[in-house]
Amino acid sequence: MCGIIGYAGGQADRNVVEVLSSGLSKLEYRGYDSAGIAVAPEVSVYKRKGELEALEETLPDGTVDALAGIGHTRWSTHGPPSDENAHPHTDCEGRVAVVHNGIVENYRELREELEAAGHVFDSETDTEVIPHLIETALEQGADEDAAFRQAIERLEGSYAVAAVFHGREEVYATRDQSPLVLGIDDGCALLASDVPAFLEYTDQVVYLEDGQFATIRPSGIEVRDERGALVDVSVETVDWDPEDAGKSGYDHYMLKEIYEQPRSIRECLRGRLRPLEGSIAIEELDGLARPTDVQFVACGTSYHASLYAARLFRERGVRATAFLASEYDVERLPLDDRTLVVGVTQSGETADTLRALRTASGVGAQTLAVTNVVGSSAAREADHAMYIRAGPEIGVAATKTFTSQQVALATLSSALTDDCSRQFVEALRELPDGIQSVLDTSNARAVAEEYVGADAYFFIGRGYEAPVALEGALKMKEITYEHAEGFAAGELKHGPLALVSEATPVIALVNGRKNTDRMLGNVTEVEARGAPIVAVTDDPDAVAGHADHVLRVPETHWRFYPILANVQLQLLAYWVANRLGRSIDRPRNLAKSVTVE
Amino acid sequence: MSIDSAIVLAAGEGIRLRPLTQNRPKPMLPAATKPILEHVFDQLVDAGVSELVVVVGYRRERVQSYFGSTYRNVPISYVVQEKQLGTGHALLAAESEVTGTCLAINGDQIVDSRIIGDVVRAHDSSAAATVAYLHRPNVQSYGGVLVEDGLVTDIVENPQDGRDYRLNAGVYALEPAAFDGVRAADSRNGEHLLVDGLSTLVETGEIVRGVASEGLWTDATYPWDLLEVSAELFEAGFVNGDPEIGGREATVHDDAVVRGPVVIDRDCAIGPGAVVGPGVCLGENVTVGANAVVERSVVDADTTIGANATVVECVTGTGVAIGPGSTIPGGPGDVRVGDTVYEDEALGALLADRVLDRGGIDYVPGALVGPETDIQTGTTVRGTLAGGTEVRS
Repeated sequence: MCGIIGYAGGQADRNVVEVLSSGLSKLEYRGYDSAGIAVAPEVSVYKRKGELEALEETLPDGTVDALAGIGHTRWSTHGPPSDENAHPHTDCEGRVAVVHNGIVENYRELREELEAAGHVFDSETDTEVIPHLIETALEQGADEDAAFRQAIERLEGSYAVAAVFHGREEVYATRDQSPLVLGIDDGCALLASDVPAFLEYTDQVVYLEDGQFATIRPSGIEVRDERGALVDVSVETVDWDPEDAGKSGYDHYMLKEIYEQPRSIRECLRGRLRPLEGSIAIEELDGLARPTDVQFVACGTSYHASLYAARLFRERGVRATAFLASEYDVERLPLDDRTLVVGVTQSGETADTLRALRTASGVGAQTLAVTNVVGSSAAREADHAMYIRAGPEIGVAATKTFTSQQVALATLSSALTDDCSRQFVEALRELPDGIQSVLDTSNARAVAEEYVGADAYFFIGRGYEAPVALEGALKMKEITYEHAEGFAAGELKHGPLALVSEATPVIALVNGRKNTDRMLGNVTEVEARGAPIVAVTDDPDAVAGHADHVLRVPETHWRFYPILANVQLQLLAYWVANRLGRSIDRPRNLAKSVTVE
Repeated sequence: MSIDSAIVLAAGEGIRLRPLTQNRPKPMLPAATKPILEHVFDQLVDAGVSELVVVVGYRRERVQSYFGSTYRNVPISYVVQEKQLGTGHALLAAESEVTGTCLAINGDQIVDSRIIGDVVRAHDSSAAATVAYLHRPNVQSYGGVLVEDGLVTDIVENPQDGRDYRLNAGVYALEPAAFDGVRAADSRNGEHLLVDGLSTLVETGEIVRGVASEGLWTDATYPWDLLEVSAELFEAGFVNGDPEIGGREATVHDDAVVRGPVVIDRDCAIGPGAVVGPGVCLGENVTVGANAVVERSVVDADTTIGANATVVECVTGTGVAIGPGSTIPGGPGDVRVGDTVYEDEALGALLADRVLDRGGIDYVPGALVGPETDIQTGTTVRGTLAGGTEVRS
């Protein structure tokens, strides 16, 4: 998924670059692994891998002398993000710049043909054939409009395309099966993949139809059909709240992303399970030797997923430890070439994790990046990369990506140890429905109502549940700004119990199939101090008489219970934060990916 | 004229579809392997609609998380109808999201894009509204319209008075004036109906045009109708039942037999010796165990069918487990819903979301099992079982 913006009308009181940057920021939900802009009539291109901030740093200070421009934000699922692969793309001479959303299916043939004719390509993208096709047509004497059309006629696939030309003050655009909408304002015109991109400038829009061509210029827009005949377009007024778009009707991205989890788990597992054989195969790791030691390096939520994963590996007889990435490189580490160092990072750009991976690589360890972003720094720098396939996550508090990390690492633990069973594979296949079941039946909202305003929230769990207790507390801290702590349940009596009172609800992860009695023993300890108990469990009978409230999860393989229980903790944190009116998607002081050490 | 925006009514539960609607509204129930609403969106997009305004309410997160912000590149905006007070009330909730002429359509009935196209072509702004109608028998279970010289003279739900009603296809082109008509109509039994609004328009002398149309029109009134709906989709070519195509993104054992028409969604696993089809729709991530037989059934996502089970004329919700050796022999059977018995329905069994059948269970045709019911091995299931219970022989 990608986003496009275009603008013509620089002589008004707006700076072209500002309009484009602002538009791209509104399109970031469509992806954010690289971004770029191009301006005209002096065609200049600025583009950069990474989030919009990276692009903004490359932009020249002060105003750029431009009258029109195009911009693009990209979320790659195939091929790595890089400065070269970022849009806009240009022809050999840099006289035309193009942004594109969609897929040019016949780009290989076109590229071969163009290369044979002497064109030189800078990127690996399908898009770059478009400016070169335009260049060819211009060389043959076509004017800009005709050259643009002739190039588009050669394309097969889906596209929304916008182009600027040297010496021209307008933007040319067309679409087929990819979205493109035009906006009209006094003295300027805009285009974008989606209305919110330019909603702060105008609410007067024209929806371009498949096969139509548009030229936008300061004086307005011109739309023509495939044969070049002028189309009488209808201008519509939209009344959207720009903030709402992309949230699919949810109040917050976080809640949307929580509800997306059944689907993101399906994506994570797709093609990796062999249900009839009861085995797991991760295609991208075919060349990875079986390690004798595994060291995970990660930060924040990813560290919690790593703690969970390390336990899965240890249980299969592999020495495995999770390290906080920021603490990793200060130690003298016992590792050799049979040690696998796994960097777990959603963005693939977490500075601490990248540094830890580099340190490990420097002393001869094999490295593996487990990440959500194709072609991210971690994925490129590590010897191997495994993708969790959760799709873009906008909410700063990680939800679906944590779940996908847990699931991906569970498959990894099995694939790298050749320790698998039909039951394990079947249990993985049951997870999407298990999470859906939690979402369908959760009473977390009502429980949250009960405990809004508590002095503190404590989360306890044992074994596989301990990391999820930490994660539940982190989620609560991040978005509610309330005090929350997670503990391995057995640690309570070694100190934290002193904090427990009637005003500190204890959220206990009670796995009905493992450690149940020992866990209930810990629950009794806090009960005795008068703390209210919220039990998250697959066995309501076991907690009857102990719990003030129960958050139920369906029965599952006992190692996967914490994956389901975590969804209840996400919802609990969300509803407490919602009740407190917090800025849930953008908590104070926090950023989505932490690219500084 | 062309009409860009469509209001899709998808807020109602669909009470007669219980117990399948415990966790999702009727528009999200499966027709073949996709939600009914997805077929509706497909037909609207095929008919040229470029903006979808979806009224959601009951279990709305299911709709929103399935479709997200766009469908086939057409932007979707969601309007929440907090209380389901009828189709007219739902329509008015969406009024501020559209400008000028728009379409309105039910999100729980599948309507051929040709019918939508006929309404769009027949409508012009001299009429306050245009309604598509079909020549069908048994109009009394649905909506009826009386049309004279292309003008609607009466429009009612469930017509019982024996007049010569045509079937109201539930596809409307509406001018802003039509919303005023809906606003002016009285509510009945707490329900504010869209058709009452159109009646009000007719009564006040506004033009409501009727356009005769034809094409696929299908609606599930009762849960077992989902079998018939899916069969119609195969027949009309809305769903490709070619066994060579079905199952391409699934794992099918070499010794399994797949007979068309059949549709097998992604991530399904079909074991050795299993016989799947004809007339079978397997949703995402369904498992069919070794030597199981599945015929004329709609099996929703994440369901597992155990080894040696026989499943004929069965409708399941999501995440159902049919245990090894269980037998659903197919209809006809008598189905009891509330105080009403529907005799000789072609239903083997209906199992709602996450029914857990532990194996070796016999189903008397027409059995209805509520969600999350846990059925112990060796039980014979007959009649209606409430949800969330444990059942022993």
